[in-house]
Parts: sequence; structure tokens; C-alpha cells
Amino acid sequence: MNARSPFPRRWLPGARRAGITVLVCAALATTRAERRIDDYLDRLEDLLTISAHEGRARAHLSGTLELEGYRTQLPAPGVFETRDGSLLETRLTVFLDSQLGPHAYLFAQARADHGFDPGERGAELRLDEVALRLAPGPRREFNLQVGRFATVVGNWATRHLSWGNPFITAPVPYELLTGMWDTEAVRSSNMLLQWAHLRPGQSAQTTAIEKSLRLPIVWGPSYADGVMISDAFGRFRYAVEAKLGSLSSRPEAWRHSREQRHHPTFSARLLWRPDTAWQFGVSGSRGVYLREFAQDTLAAGTGRGDYRQEVVAADASYAWRHWQVWAEVFGARFTIPRVGNAETLAWYSELRYRFTPQWSGALRWNQQVYANILHRGVPTPWGQEVWRIDVAPALRLTPHTQLKFQYSLQRGDSAPRDTTRTLATQLTLRF
Amino acid sequence: MIFSPPLRGRVASALPPLLAALAVAGALASSPASAATVEGRVSLPATRSTPVVNQRYEIVTKSGVLSTNPPVAVVYLEGQFPAPATPPVASMRQKDLTFLPSLLPIQAGTRVEFPNLDDTYHNIFSFSPAKRFDLGRYRAEDRPIPSQVFDTPGLVTLRCDIHEHMRALILVLATPHFVVTDADGRFRLTGLPAGRYTLKAWIDSKTTRTQAVELPATDVPVRADFP
Repeated sequence: MNARSPFPRRWLPGARRAGITVLVCAALATTRAERRIDDYLDRLEDLLTISAHEGRARAHLSGTLELEGYRTQLPAPGVFETRDGSLLETRLTVFLDSQLGPHAYLFAQARADHGFDPGERGAELRLDEVALRLAPGPRREFNLQVGRFATVVGNWATRHLSWGNPFITAPVPYELLTGMWDTEAVRSSNMLLQWAHLRPGQSAQTTAIEKSLRLPIVWGPSYADGVMISDAFGRFRYAVEAKLGSLSSRPEAWRHSREQRHHPTFSARLLWRPDTAWQFGVSGSRGVYLREFAQDTLAAGTGRGDYRQEVVAADASYAWRHWQVWAEVFGARFTIPRVGNAETLAWYSELRYRFTPQWSGALRWNQQVYANILHRGVPTPWGQEVWRIDVAPALRLTPHTQLKFQYSLQRGDSAPRDTTRTLATQLTLRF
Repeated sequence: MIFSPPLRGRVASALPPLLAALAVAGALASSPASAATVEGRVSLPATRSTPVVNQRYEIVTKSGVLSTNPPVAVVYLEGQFPAPATPPVASMRQKDLTFLPSLLPIQAGTRVEFPNLDDTYHNIFSFSPAKRFDLGRYRAEDRPIPSQVFDTPGLVTLRCDIHEHMRALILVLATPHFVVTDADGRFRLTGLPAGRYTLKAWIDSKTTRTQAVELPATDVPVRADFP
């Protein structure tokens, strides 16, 4: 390792390739041409809004074009996949927001990229969100929503899109993969400890594809199909949703939600806003984490409904002038018949400060710990404690372009090393 | 008489022009009809569609109905005019997730206050070369009301970092003589000094129409249309 650099020399070619690409685009974004483009983008925004019936029905198309570069030590942490530790990702996201009179709101999100999470896969086009929200009655605070949409649990979903997110990657509870799988039921404590890399015996073939097997507590914004009701009473708001997919379900499962038609996941959130600056929430969720094709691996005499993911969460946020703070804590339990309950606790806190109209910086502390399971009569943690610190400076180049950097240092769950370092950069063009 | 004889002569010689000047000033002050007026009509572009509020990740929403802001123009008299003795104060409100007004002309040197009349945060910012600022998140009850002084003539685009559909313009002018048209494009600009000037109609960031006007020192309105 280079004594002066926090990264090995062999990192540089890949990091340079990804970094230079993003920086060249960023430099282009600061030219006079871009400032003219900015004006055109404002005009485009007006053009992409259409209305009918004297403005009572309106629709607006908007979107983001993202270019991301990653460089990480292997095995790559979180949910993104790379063979050599470097990755260049492009993503086009198009949003539709439509107001149909005062009582109906329709929204959708389509993406073209290489998978929901960054990875070395083929290009694909997906409809990640599409939902109709109805606000019947004159008060309009009681809402009914049907479709595919982000979970109501927690406060991260409200800022998970690249433009509003101070970071490039998700917090640990939303992306750190545990030893739990959704494709096969755990049949022994030894099996679970192997999947969690705490016991030898997992084949190299399995290790190579395990990101398509393991589950986090919450998979990103959890865009599963479902129905939600919500309302507000004074300073309190609540939302209850029934979805065809547990919080931990992976993006592929969201598109096959009929598998869970007999095992809906119920989640709820209660929010208290004592004033504009503060917000406190508690959430809970209960659903089945195994997918349909795990049926043949269930313990004798059990059904998929016995393999539940139960989550309780609390969150808080504060904002004042140029400060923003968020914090969340999640307790999750995966029930495993004949083996016991696998429990984990994860939390994080984020801080963002805007130094100037263009420069801001963000800092995040993440941690996840695991409870014990009984392994051959001995209480044994079913996962390795993980902590991670993320630092993310960001530069708003124009009202429509933003450049972010992120450095992450993670300890735990990174065998054979103690720590994993990741560099990421993201250029976003908003239209 | 308190003056000594030599000084008394000087005072006596200075009196006639002084009295004349006072008479003219008095006449000007007592006769507003001597200030010129120009009126006319500006052809405005078609009405823009009202924006749509992004409510995707709000668990409860009761908004979504925004007021329509029809396009208007700013008509102003270009020329060399003195800076205001005391900085004028203007207001750009945020009400029902909309900027009010959506287009605010001001004279350079004006302080603009940004009162938040909603029960949620707003975060007003501008990256425009004429004025770059970020007010951060602030509430309706926060005092003093956040404000900025706009010293440099030019166009300033305001946005809200929280509500992406919110956008408004401040047109900073080097003249105290300006007016916003009504929704039909009609305007009436009063209290103008007599003389030859250039009258401009600012319609949008790409369109400013111009015409020369000669303003008499009478109250007979001068007609100026911008077709």
C-alpha cells in the first residue's frame, strides 16, 4: 500500500477512469453553455407540464440523468456488485406527477439502468413506481393509495432519490446484507452461520452469487405493490399499508409480487410533528420474507407464513436553516421454525450542513449488531457487528446539476480484511 | 436687518433666482399633472400550465391545488436615474406552496423580504449571477423575516429547495420607473420625468421589446403598445 495514500496503487487506474469521466462531465456542466442549458431546462420544465379542463387536470414529466463511479475493496459492501472493484453506472429516471382534480393524484417512476442497485448487468427498463392516491372528502387529509410505491416505514424513503439524498449509498439498515436468504429456508444454526460467513463451508459458487440470495433489513425504498391509507390529526399523522412483499424483499421480488398474494406484509407508521423543525416517528412491519420457490426447503410441518420478518423502528429528524439531521433505529426479527429467532439491531444518524449556496457536506454514522442464536447449545451471534462512517461533500453546480462524492469506511462483514473502503462519485442532471 | 451692508447686497442679488427656483419647485410639487404618463398594452405569451406538486413521498397530502399565475410583463423606463436615498423594501411571499408574486420588478438596491406564510418549511435560493444566495429552511414564525438586498441589475430566478415546482423571478432594474402589466397586458406608468427615453417591455428571459418615447411635461398620456 502507498504510505501517503489511503488506497492501494492498484486502485488508481479504475478509480481514475470513473473519476475522470464524472469530473469531465462536471466541468462541462459549469461552462457558459450549461448556463444556457439551464434556461432551456426551465423552459423544458414548462413544456413538460400539460393541463386540461382549465387546469383541473394536469400532468408533469420530470427526471434525472445520473452518472456514478464507484471504487471499492472486494468483496463490495452493500448491495452493489462488481468483479474488479470499480463500476461506472448510468441511470435515467423519468417521473410522472399528475393531479386529476383536487381529489386524485397519480404518480409513476420509470428507470433505465443496469439494475435497481448498481451492478455489472445488462441494461434494463423498469417501472419502479406507479400509484394512484385518492383524497376523498372535503378535508382531503384522509388518503387512499393503490399501486407500487415506497414503504411508509422510516424516514429515509422521503429523500432516497439522488437529487435530495445527501449521500450516494443508502444507510446500513437499507443496504447491508445479513446472512438471511429469501430463496431457501434456514434449516439449522450452522447453515445460518455459514450464510453469514461466520462458519466455513459455503461453496465458492454460492459466495459468488450470494448478493442475489441475502437480505437486508429494508431493501432501499421497498417499492412493492400494495395499498395504503393515511390521515392526519392535529400534529399527528399515520399511515398503514398492506403490501405484497416484506420490507427486506429484493427488487426482483417487487416485480413478482403475486407470489406473496397469500402472505401480505402489514406496515404502519405514526408521525408526530411538534413543530416544523422536529419530526418523530415510530414504525412497525410484519410479513413473510421467503419467496415462493423456497417452499420446498421449509421445515417439516411449517408453511411460508411461519417465516416472518418483524420490524420495529423509530426515527427523528430536525431541520433549521442550513442544518439537517436524521436518525433511525431498526430492530428486526426473522423467525425460523426449529432454529429460533434471528434478531438484529441497526441504527444510523446523518448530518448535513450547507456551507454556501453551492457547497454542502454530510456525515453519517451507521452500525448494526446481531443477537445470539443457539448453535450446538452455545449462544452465538448470527452476524458480524458492522460499523460504517460515510463522508459526502456535494456541489450544486447549477440549479439542475449536482456533483457528490462519498468516502465510506466500513468495519466488519468484510472478511478477509477488517475494513472496506469505498469511494463513490455521482453527477446528477435534473430536468 | 442683521446682515452687514456688503453682505446685504449679496443677499439682495441672490434673492430673485432663489425665489424663482422655489416657485418652480413649488409649482412642480403642487402640480402632479406635470409628470408624464405612458400607457399601452403588451402582447403576452399564452398562459402556462400550472405546475404539479410532487407528493410522492408525503404520507398525507392535502395540497395539490395551486393557483394559476397568468403571464405578465414588466414595462420600465430606461435612463439615468439616481439611486434611492433610502433602500426600498419589497416582499416575495410563499403562500400555498407558490411564490407571490411570480414576477417581482425592483429597483437595484431594494431589500426583498421572503415571508413564509405556509405551515411548512421553505428554502429559497438563487444561483443567478445577479444574486446568489440560499436562505436555508425557515418557518412562518421566524423573525426577522429572511431578506436579501439586490444590488446588481439583472434577472434572478428564485427556487425552493424543498418544493421543486416553486419558481419565481425578480427583475432587478436600474430605474425607479416600472410597472407590472395586468393579465391582459395593459399597463399605465405614471410620475415620469419629461424627456426622451427608451421604454422597454420585459416579457420573459429571452424577450424584451423596446421603443423610443418622448414624454411631455403634461399629464396627457402617451400611448405605447408592444404588439
